[in-house]
Amino acid sequence: MLLPLFQWLEGLQVSGWLSTSTYVGPLINVFHLLALVIVFGSLLIVDVRLLGRGMTQQPVAKVARDARPWLIGALICMLLTGIPQVLSIPIREYHSPFFWMKMRLLLVALIFTFTLRHKVTMADEARVGPVWGKVVGIVSIGLWTWVAVEGRLIGLLS
Amino acid sequence: MSLRTLFEWVDAFPSSIAMRESIFAFPVLLTVHVVSLVMFAGLVMMMDLRLLGAAYRGTPFSEVQARLFPWQMVGMVVTSIAGLLLFYSQPMRYFGKLLYWIKMGLIVLAGVNAMLFHFTTYRSIAKWDTTSPPLGAKVAGVLSLAMWACIVAFGRLTAYDYDWATFE
Repeated sequence: MLLPLFQWLEGLQVSGWLSTSTYVGPLINVFHLLALVIVFGSLLIVDVRLLGRGMTQQPVAKVARDARPWLIGALICMLLTGIPQVLSIPIREYHSPFFWMKMRLLLVALIFTFTLRHKVTMADEARVGPVWGKVVGIVSIGLWTWVAVEGRLIGLLS
Repeated sequence: MSLRTLFEWVDAFPSSIAMRESIFAFPVLLTVHVVSLVMFAGLVMMMDLRLLGAAYRGTPFSEVQARLFPWQMVGMVVTSIAGLLLFYSQPMRYFGKLLYWIKMGLIVLAGVNAMLFHFTTYRSIAKWDTTSPPLGAKVAGVLSLAMWACIVAFGRLTAYDYDWATFE
């Protein structure tokens, strides 16, 4: 269904330019990875706290509020550097099972992070109890790790 | 024994050859290396941002440092083991790459920077734990951020064979 879209992208001038560039393509890749570093830092500092470890002298909500602008900023950088990577090899991405798996997981991870996880981090800790925080922390680490693994495999195995 | 002989010696190990010829070793090791690296570097950068006064301002620096440290170390151990195995499986792939050597040098320098900070500026932590850190702390934070960013970047760029960055 989406194949015509990816074929159209492949035909764009910018696609050819990106895929044959000596430095631009690789540098976009590097910035995608650097943004991922900040994504993981700002996620883990909160997830570890949800597990009842890490910065335990601080309320979960405070750690989450401090981390949020870095998370959102880094996710925007991921999007801005991710789009040109699809643009440079649209047909290869279209035929990669890892790409589609990553996109599905990413959607789930984003919805989870900005609904359930957000709610649990902002809620009164006494009301949430110790179990839900741990579940949300583990699911968050698991989901985002899986997204990153699929992303790495697009380039390695597609 | 020169460095080249050492690399060639490792390159000829049957286990090195077996890993090199395995279809799975490289993608699995590289994925583990990268994912644990972003976890390690991410938590280091969160600490650095606190050191600069750019994030987590309401949390004492000593708490950020002490409570993230064990998690940083978990990431560092995993990414280092995977990295060593990547090197072990194809030493001659990396021997001739300039960016690989700069990356290794920067890892040493980042370690030296962290130790220097710990044994100088950090000694007066009681005075600035909850306020704006002194210049020495900010310099250490900027250096750490810049060096780890370059380590990540140069590691990624070893995948490309640029003529100017290849000397073999």
